Amino acid sequence: MKSLQKSCALGLDDDRNLSKNIPNMDIEESVDDFIIERRKSIFLNSANKSMDFNCETNSVAGSVSQRACVYCGARVVLNPITDAYHIVHGPIGCASYTWDIRGSLSSSAEVYRNSFSTDLGEKDVIFGGEKKLTGAIDEIVEKFSPKLIFVYSTCIVGIIGDDVDAVCQKAEEKYNIRVISVKSPGFAGNKSTGYKMGCNAIMELMDKSCGHRDTNSINYLGDFNLAGEAWIIRNYLQKLGIKINSTLTGDSSYESIKKAPSAKLNIVQCAGSMSYLAKRMREAFGIPFIKVSFYGLADIKRSIYDIANFLNDESIMEKAFDFVSNKEKETKQNLEIYKKRLDGKKAAIFVGGGFKAISLIKQFKELGMQTVMVGTQTGKKDEYETIRDISDEGTIILDDANPVELENFMLEKGADILVGGVKERPLAYKLGVAFCDHNHERKHALCGYEGAINFAKEIDLSINSSVWNYIRKERGD
Amino acid sequence: MSRNFVNLNINQCKMCMPLGASLAFKGVEGSIVILHGSQGCSTYIRRHMATHYNEPIDIASSSLTENGAVFGGTKNLKSGIKNLIKVYNPKIIGIFTTCLADTIGEDIDRIVKEFIEEEHIDTNSLKLVTAHTPGYGATQTEGYYVALRKTVEQLSKKGHKNNKVNIIAANLNPGDIRNIKNYLNEVGVGYIMFPDISETLDGGYRKAYERIPPGGTKINDIVDMANSLATIEMGISIDRSLSPGQYLSDNYGVPLYVTPAPIGLRNTDSFLDTVKNICGKEIPEVIRHERGRLLDAMIDAHKYNAQVRAIVYGDPEIVYSLVLICEENGILPKIIATGSNNSKFEKLIKDKIKNFNDEIIVLNDTDFETIESYATNNDINLLIGNSDGRRLAEKLKLEIVRIGFPIHDRLGAQRVIFTGYNGSANFIDLTSNSILARKEEGFREEAFDKYYKNSTEKENNLVKISNIEHTKTHPCFNKDAHQYSRMHIPVAPACNISCNYCNRKYDCSNESRPGVTSEILKPEEALRKYIAVKQRFENLSVVGIAGPGEALANFDNVRKSVKLIKQFDPKTTFCLSTNGLMLPFYANELIDLGFSNITITINTTLPEVAAKIYRDVNYLGENFKGIKAGEVIINNQLDGLRFLSMHGIVCKVNLVLIKGINDFCVEDTVKKVKDLGAYITNIMPMIPVKGSVFENFSPVNQLELKEIRDKCGSIMKQMYHCRQCRADAIGTLDKDCSSEFACKG
Repeated sequence: MKSLQKSCALGLDDDRNLSKNIPNMDIEESVDDFIIERRKSIFLNSANKSMDFNCETNSVAGSVSQRACVYCGARVVLNPITDAYHIVHGPIGCASYTWDIRGSLSSSAEVYRNSFSTDLGEKDVIFGGEKKLTGAIDEIVEKFSPKLIFVYSTCIVGIIGDDVDAVCQKAEEKYNIRVISVKSPGFAGNKSTGYKMGCNAIMELMDKSCGHRDTNSINYLGDFNLAGEAWIIRNYLQKLGIKINSTLTGDSSYESIKKAPSAKLNIVQCAGSMSYLAKRMREAFGIPFIKVSFYGLADIKRSIYDIANFLNDESIMEKAFDFVSNKEKETKQNLEIYKKRLDGKKAAIFVGGGFKAISLIKQFKELGMQTVMVGTQTGKKDEYETIRDISDEGTIILDDANPVELENFMLEKGADILVGGVKERPLAYKLGVAFCDHNHERKHALCGYEGAINFAKEIDLSINSSVWNYIRKERGD
Repeated sequence: MSRNFVNLNINQCKMCMPLGASLAFKGVEGSIVILHGSQGCSTYIRRHMATHYNEPIDIASSSLTENGAVFGGTKNLKSGIKNLIKVYNPKIIGIFTTCLADTIGEDIDRIVKEFIEEEHIDTNSLKLVTAHTPGYGATQTEGYYVALRKTVEQLSKKGHKNNKVNIIAANLNPGDIRNIKNYLNEVGVGYIMFPDISETLDGGYRKAYERIPPGGTKINDIVDMANSLATIEMGISIDRSLSPGQYLSDNYGVPLYVTPAPIGLRNTDSFLDTVKNICGKEIPEVIRHERGRLLDAMIDAHKYNAQVRAIVYGDPEIVYSLVLICEENGILPKIIATGSNNSKFEKLIKDKIKNFNDEIIVLNDTDFETIESYATNNDINLLIGNSDGRRLAEKLKLEIVRIGFPIHDRLGAQRVIFTGYNGSANFIDLTSNSILARKEEGFREEAFDKYYKNSTEKENNLVKISNIEHTKTHPCFNKDAHQYSRMHIPVAPACNISCNYCNRKYDCSNESRPGVTSEILKPEEALRKYIAVKQRFENLSVVGIAGPGEALANFDNVRKSVKLIKQFDPKTTFCLSTNGLMLPFYANELIDLGFSNITITINTTLPEVAAKIYRDVNYLGENFKGIKAGEVIINNQLDGLRFLSMHGIVCKVNLVLIKGINDFCVEDTVKKVKDLGAYITNIMPMIPVKGSVFENFSPVNQLELKEIRDKCGSIMKQMYHCRQCRADAIGTLDKDCSSEFACKG
């Protein structure tokens, strides 16, 4: 049984000796703790074997997945639209737990920082919630004169059969404003499904006839303007003579989304949530897209050159070359001090999407660090292939990992730091592992050149904190 | 229900039942929870709890998907429990429903029974507890007690009498539970603390990580609760059908004493008295000393606490205890609010508030939108409650004394102690310190503003200093203040002169220049609009009156608007823009109203030039034209400027530069106004407006403008950053947001 578990879990050939590749790793013991259905979602990177890997599936019951639900995915995508009234149609919890918890910033309206819930009760569940929803929209229109309302369907709305589409359509006709139904019952898929539902809602807002294609005007997809990150990138592009037409959805508004079809190109940062939108916009408006990443020097450079290349404008290319070489030189100088302090440290990664994980692996390499474990909540097959290509032999790759797996592999691989979200933080700390917050609640920028420095700074201040001296002593290391 | 909106709950002051149930169950030894529903519920609740306790919170989910929702979730729940047992090896599993499971009618008791049979579970070593906790059923408070009650119902068994007291804890922090346990240990009474989160949700660092944290109420103790001496239940607002103590009393005859959570002098007294009466032991000296120290602390703090006007909000059980400690210490809980719908709580509180000399607002089943609407008019100076009040605190610029669950924006909530005599002293120190901190920060400025600045014998130069302070945050007087927002209130439609460059039309929101507005406001509407704008722009520093006509030709409206806004927000900087014709009449009153900054448009000091600019001047009912008109207006402008400057008002002089008309005498004009005390001049290019006399004039270009400004710069300070704003402009100079507020006033 044990040998079977071993090969299932890690996809190893039977004759391979594990301890040769991964010293200090007691795989047998840890594997015994894992849930059988989870084993195909755990992969030990090795050049000599094929990657038979399970991802893009539903979570295993009882596994304590770190993922949220469909509603969560939709909320992530749409929440930063600053002048929209986001009505969560359902019982209180769904709204209460997502009220203004993200670091998305606005340059104008602040409506999105409020939380509107129809607060369905037992009676509504029995008799239906359509009336209440209609009343809720009426009240909002009467008191606030909105231009745009989103109505999120939660689990029970999907069950009790409220015709949310019809309610929204009626309200649109009655008030001549946009009321968009977001189909996000929690059980109807996973977080990725929610991203799609959010993107579908955005598509409904876009105005096909919004005019000619601006030269050198692009849309920036998949940046939620956490701590002003979309503003940082906007400034960069402006310096190159590129105009951002719309950001989706960081610091966006009804009007800015409406005119999105007039851009020449879409660039996509958070591929997990927004590639789908980019594809739909390509189909509907013929706007091509490229994936970019502004995390880490290598990816920033590649992204800026890709954009400049695409726009095929000599002056932009020239400016891009100057901009990147100046900024890179300056940043590298600033990073030098951290590189010295971080050389040879081991990192573990557990983030939402695969594209971010890829950037992080490269970013750690830039700092002279090795990534020993990398997992995501909703990575795609091709992203895991890339992760595999760029990570070292012996790196653990995980999809939709649970706390037990994270615990095991962090300890076994001797990770010095974990990059992750809010729920993973206390686990890392309990294990005596440093932590870097790379989530939607953070209040400091991690993208662009300034972000690269912030990132190194945060890694350094956590990994090299004097606190660990005492923890190590306690452990008897 | 006390909510402003009938069909909406805006900015929630409550959470859901499965959260409360999960939280309570964390206080049971060797426990883990699985929520029967979709994946999001457990993840959101884990995040909500992890951020408060800073501990790993593992809660499983049956991860129902579309299939489960349609065909039932039996298979998912069973395999979920099985996986949990394998990975966590728990002693007890809490199986709680969510909205989804209860809506599709899942029979969790049947599923669990089948599971035990199919998997040959030894129920002596693994307990499975079920409870229905649909999110739409009630709030986290009810969920908390339901989970406790169901656990007792399913585990407690008649046996030999023990000599212990059951303590049913309210949803308190681990620090508080430890504190109460210390008290009980001091008294020397045997007890069963249920639930006991003191270690499970605030564990120390250990060499080896344990997936299920050690600690919690022992399962054998829960079984034994049926045989205790008595139950003390912190649950004064809790419906008896949810009460675990009630169940033990009804079914096993364990005497029940219901007390409030021991926060405050009286609540701690009554808790300890109850303990004493049950076990017949004296309260030891060390606790009596602590009581003495609390009384001493109450005296030390009383004068500061007497100044607190607070909003107290959160879980009804905690809020009830807080109202009592407020009352003891002279803290006014002006607004008492809970998001739960709890009529028992409402009745209890309404009974208590009779003791206050002030009218108290009690909000049951409320939301933060409603709390906020009451907060603005009641001179609130402190929030007491969980961190969900932080957005309100941000708006009102108030501190929060953080107590209750959740605390997401500060560390250490799990260790803070508010119970017992020691914790109560800690609480009143925090409330009084909030007053002391404000005093320290503000008393110098406050006294200066109140007694010196407004004294009748003003010394001009000193007044000027404080007006210069206003200027620091005035974007139109100081280019470094561009980040501050200002709003123009269009309350002055009429005008008393006709300028050849002007054509006022009211309704074009795309045109941005002086004299243009989308609406005219009455003073009351201006106040409403101000309040709306202030909520959006915290950095709103200036209210200006710039027409669309002439401010001093509509002085009744101006006066009333200023008074109303000042009453609402005494710190606002007021400025006004005028053609200066009526300045000698109103200058004194403008000073008394508190205008710190005034802009006068003086295009020339030569009557013959003025004659070409002004078609008509209507002065005190008489219509002047030509050179005479020029003389009248120039004399009044210059007199007004001299008077205001002498009295410390910071004056800006606007000069509309018209090529071929007044460009040759600009420098002379600037010299003249400088001599009269102007602070800055703003030379603006004329905008040739369609329909005006000068519509075909060509405006000066930016180069010419810069040249002339630079020249005048050697005479006095020049404004380079003017945006020639609309009469209803809102926001920063670079970003006008007036259209967003239109028709909202």
